Amino acid sequence: MSDDVHPRAEHLITAARVEGISPAEREWLDAHLESCARCAERAAALERALASLRSLSIPLDPALVSATQLRVRLRAQGLQEQESRMRGLWVSCALSWFLGALSAPLLWRGFEWVGRRIALPDLAWQTAFLFWWLVPGAAVGAVFAWQRARGSSDNGHAATQSR
Amino acid sequence: MDAAVCWFVNSVTSPMEHEGQAIARGLRRRDPDLLDRLIEHYQYRLFRYLLLLTGNKETAEDLFQETWMRVLECGRQFDSRWKFGTWLFTIARNLVIDVRRRRHAPLADAGDTEALGEVPATGEPSAFDLLARREAGARVAAALARLPATYREVLVLRFQEDLALEEIAAVVDAPLSTVKSRLYRGLDTLRQLLEGGRA
Repeated sequence: MSDDVHPRAEHLITAARVEGISPAEREWLDAHLESCARCAERAAALERALASLRSLSIPLDPALVSATQLRVRLRAQGLQEQESRMRGLWVSCALSWFLGALSAPLLWRGFEWVGRRIALPDLAWQTAFLFWWLVPGAAVGAVFAWQRARGSSDNGHAATQSR
Repeated sequence: MDAAVCWFVNSVTSPMEHEGQAIARGLRRRDPDLLDRLIEHYQYRLFRYLLLLTGNKETAEDLFQETWMRVLECGRQFDSRWKFGTWLFTIARNLVIDVRRRRHAPLADAGDTEALGEVPATGEPSAFDLLARREAGARVAAALARLPATYREVLVLRFQEDLALEEIAAVVDAPLSTVKSRLYRGLDTLRQLLEGGRA
């Protein structure tokens, strides 16, 4: 028997478990294992190792599983509540921007009329209009930022509490 | 196995497409019942993987919880074409890497592996079978603890979790060729360690 058949057999023994081998290689390997006790023992040793690896299990504390389920459930509830709050905010934002856009021409004329009546420079009543128009958007932005900050601090708090 | 778990296994583990879609829908809705069943279903596999990766029971327990929190929070990113198990192990692995970075520590090369090696109570093995299996389990656990973590990880994913090579490559974020070479070397080293332990 040539010396290089054993390394080939060893490679095929491992390859069969890792990525599979062709039928021709399988046939060659089976024939070799029948005639070579050393390689057959290697194949058996690998098979035993894998069988032990597959049967390896762990004692898992059931309390860990139930604690995890509770923690995930509470967090899911928190996230759902947060989302429903945000949905309400988005709807009111959209409505406010829509009404703002509709009323802009009227407001512009209103600011212009008041500006003329009290003899304000154009830039002053135009700035006042812009400010009036931007304030709701800025307020909503501030509410969003506050909500987001509160949400992330809640997350951190929940994580600490559940440990 | 109770009726709820049976329903879950039948409904979400039959055709892969159906399984992925059902899970993706539930994760989008953040359905706590689905998450409960997923935690039940994957508890041993995930914990075993985390324990083998970290080598520390407390860290594995913390990361077990964190993994499920991450599944809940990132659930909308789950694509129904993926296998849930592969996605879950990827999340778990990324958390292990985060912890390792925070602690400036490498992936564990040894640790609480005495927690491994217990034999699951399946069927009714004889006392002799139990003893032999327990001894074999302890020997494999000790050999695994001595394996480099990169080898141990792919061996666990391939031979305990039965993941395909491509799935392992996705989980460990490495090319297929690297996964294969780690498997070859890992198996070789494991066999040598076991043979050494036997002698």
